[in-house]
Amino acid sequence: MAAEPTTRELRELVAEYEFERGHLLPALIEIQERYGYVSPAAIEVLARQMRTTPALVYGAVSFYADFRTEPPPEREIAWCSGPACRLRGGDRIREALQHTLGLPLDSQSEDGAYGLRLGQCNGTCSEAPQVWVDGEVVGDLTVAGAVAIARDVKGDA
Amino acid sequence: MNDRFTAIAAEAREGWEASRASGREQVNVCLDTSSLARGGAETLAALQEAVAAKGLNVDIQTTGSWGFCWLEPTVSVRSAAGTRTVLYHSVTPDRVEEFVQATLVEAGEFPELALGVVEGAPSDAIGALEDHPFMRGQIRRLMANCGQIDPENIDHYLANGGYEGFVESLDMEPEAIIELMLESGLGGRGGAGFPAGRKWDFLRNATAEPRYLVCNADEGDPGAWVNRILMEGDPHLIIEGMLIAAMATNSIEGYIYIRHEYPLAIERMNVAVEQARERGLLGEDVLGSGKAFDLVVFVGAGSYVCGEETGLINSIDGYRGMPRIRPPFPAQAGLWNLPTNVNNVETYANAPLVLRHGAEWWSGVSDDEAKGTKMFTISGAVNQPGCVEIPFGLSVRDLLEKYGGGTPGGAPLKGYQPGGPLSGVLSAEEADLPLTLAPFRDRGLFLGSGGIVFFDETTSVVDLCTYFLGFAEDESCGRCTTCFQGTQRAVEILRRIGNGGGRDSDLDKFEDLIQTMTWSNCLHGSFAMTTVKLALRYFRDEFETLIREKRDPTRSLPGMITYEITSPGDPALAEAAAICPTEAIVDAGSRFEIVDELCIRCGACAEVAPNAVTVRDRFV
Ligand SMILES: Cc1cc2nc3c(=O)[nH]c(=O)nc-3n(C[C@H](O)[C@H](O)[C@H](O)COP(=O)(O)O)c2cc1C
Ligand code: SF4
Ligand code: SF4
Ligand code: FES
Repeated sequence: MAAEPTTRELRELVAEYEFERGHLLPALIEIQERYGYVSPAAIEVLARQMRTTPALVYGAVSFYADFRTEPPPEREIAWCSGPACRLRGGDRIREALQHTLGLPLDSQSEDGAYGLRLGQCNGTCSEAPQVWVDGEVVGDLTVAGAVAIARDVKGDA
Repeated sequence: MNDRFTAIAAEAREGWEASRASGREQVNVCLDTSSLARGGAETLAALQEAVAAKGLNVDIQTTGSWGFCWLEPTVSVRSAAGTRTVLYHSVTPDRVEEFVQATLVEAGEFPELALGVVEGAPSDAIGALEDHPFMRGQIRRLMANCGQIDPENIDHYLANGGYEGFVESLDMEPEAIIELMLESGLGGRGGAGFPAGRKWDFLRNATAEPRYLVCNADEGDPGAWVNRILMEGDPHLIIEGMLIAAMATNSIEGYIYIRHEYPLAIERMNVAVEQARERGLLGEDVLGSGKAFDLVVFVGAGSYVCGEETGLINSIDGYRGMPRIRPPFPAQAGLWNLPTNVNNVETYANAPLVLRHGAEWWSGVSDDEAKGTKMFTISGAVNQPGCVEIPFGLSVRDLLEKYGGGTPGGAPLKGYQPGGPLSGVLSAEEADLPLTLAPFRDRGLFLGSGGIVFFDETTSVVDLCTYFLGFAEDESCGRCTTCFQGTQRAVEILRRIGNGGGRDSDLDKFEDLIQTMTWSNCLHGSFAMTTVKLALRYFRDEFETLIREKRDPTRSLPGMITYEITSPGDPALAEAAAICPTEAIVDAGSRFEIVDELCIRCGACAEVAPNAVTVRDRFV
């Protein structure tokens, strides 16, 4: 994972973006793609570039589920919150994941080693119930299977 | 006809014909998000490897989805002579070796995995694809290219009639294009069914310039993936539709707003826009006509209400994606407060078909009041989660039985959700409704954008309500007290009922919420209670049993059950104790026991020791 971005790097990264052309979201996405998250420095730099306030930039960051304000964990389970998964025990899988990892949804361990996130259905409902482990789909999951995955991700296995 | 276009189309057609007459076998691997989830990329790699290892001279390319999502990866093989194409399913990496041997080395067929013959004569072993039960009755117009062309190759699109509808519109007056759209009867596919031609006319008549188009590809309804199938399978169809709308409305720029959960669709739309620009179909001077139109692929960042058209506009403008207060409507003040038209992906995608084949052909597909074909995705308690394209009017039950393959194990259907979390739930007694707008509107809901979710008798309706209201609460933008506090209150009450604390007065509280929440700024708030409203209409008994008898007839709500060990000597229990995430299963000497206070009702123990663990009612 990239180190904490410096103000100079950030300025260069967003130099071409203009608020008036609808570039706030694309700029935030670019920052997150590069660094994994949107740091406080990034909010300040972007506000200046967009000739607006950090409040407005942060307002957008906090509105969208996809933006992170801390570096992403090394390993992550995203749990599918969709209906097909729910109908096949998805909510019991969520409970089991939360308890095994000791984390609520959308949070990560203090050392940043592992995290748990709420994922949205992307229409691979034939795999229900599913989770994404480090971005890869694991479908036809059982609760017991989810516990085993969570232990592995946590390093307990 | 536009000369420049005639030239590019002719060149594309030549290339296409030449590749089809190459004398080599053509292997098309479906690579969409569903296929990728089922190992499609590995299948492609394994095919390439096997072909290289055997020194075979074969063309391998990728396509979008045929809609057989539950049977991915699908692969078609076209014979070297070009006379026969067969589509296969479940070509997983471990089957590739024998698949290549049978279809390419021996140049034969592989009936075990065959879905049907796409091109050429059916045989005893393999029937025609159009006679496959999943394909019969489908009318593939929007999806005509899906599975058949490479979505990342504009020439494939051009060689199959692509952009001809747009070129038609290039020489028409805006009024004439709108007239044609009105004549077709095309209604918006994003949920409400508002006539596309009328919306375009609002924009045409707007007083300010410049004007913008937005394609709503946010597809936020969980369980709906029809827009994804189109973007991943035939992205140019959407671009062509937007070009036609631009001609009808004198718009100069368009935005395709795609949710970030669809990275492949984003990639393919970007490739398609780039290729269209290279061919002069987008840009300052489209096909030398002197007209300008260009497109931007805009990626969302995770918000359901950004699918609401004014939330979406705020999102592009750079603000929190909160739905605006209307009026003004987007046609007067949309992007940057300039006139804007928002349509769904599937709405735009229909326009080229109307322009190419005429309004009469387009609307003549059925005599249903709602015109044209509609794509639906089927999921939940079904055997065949997939995507179909059919004329409006098929009954919900037929959709389930014919295309969804029925419920798993033939379990009795309990109900279904016709289109997204705001569209509510209907019971199985309403399964004979035709899939068209009117009957749903009559029942106080929308047919929605095409994602139909079925549920069977094992599902608790209170759990469904908790889920959908929880979703609405999470996604509320926070502008209206009615919406964000109303959903929160509804979830609290539902949770309490689901934990055995229901009171008779709760049902009245729901009635209050149903009333007050209609006073919300956008449909997110005013339709959030639809699920509860309809659940109370169709499944009132279930609420009453929960509240009065403290019993959950489905025995599925975690707050209404306990897990008990009923055969303590079962050897599988050691494994159950090991898997239990809360260490609730303790070894009390010679027997295992569950410590109820520690048990989170996850059911892992019952999965590994099904004969030793029993689910019981908690309160009775
Ligand atoms: C909360 C909410 C979410 C919506 N999400 C979508 C969506 O994801 N896709 C979509 O096309 N329309 C969505 N709509 C409907 C749009 O506001 C709008 O009506 C639609 O894009 C118009 O396109 P159409 O006329 O082509 O159907 C949503 C509406 C609401 C209230
Ligand atoms: S109804 Fe809900 S989502 Fe819509 S504007 Fe009000 S608070 Fe926002
Ligand atoms: S239901 Fe889950 S928490 Fe309860 S005993 Fe079984 S495994 Fe443990
Ligand atoms: S509900 Fe989980 S993938 Fe659709």
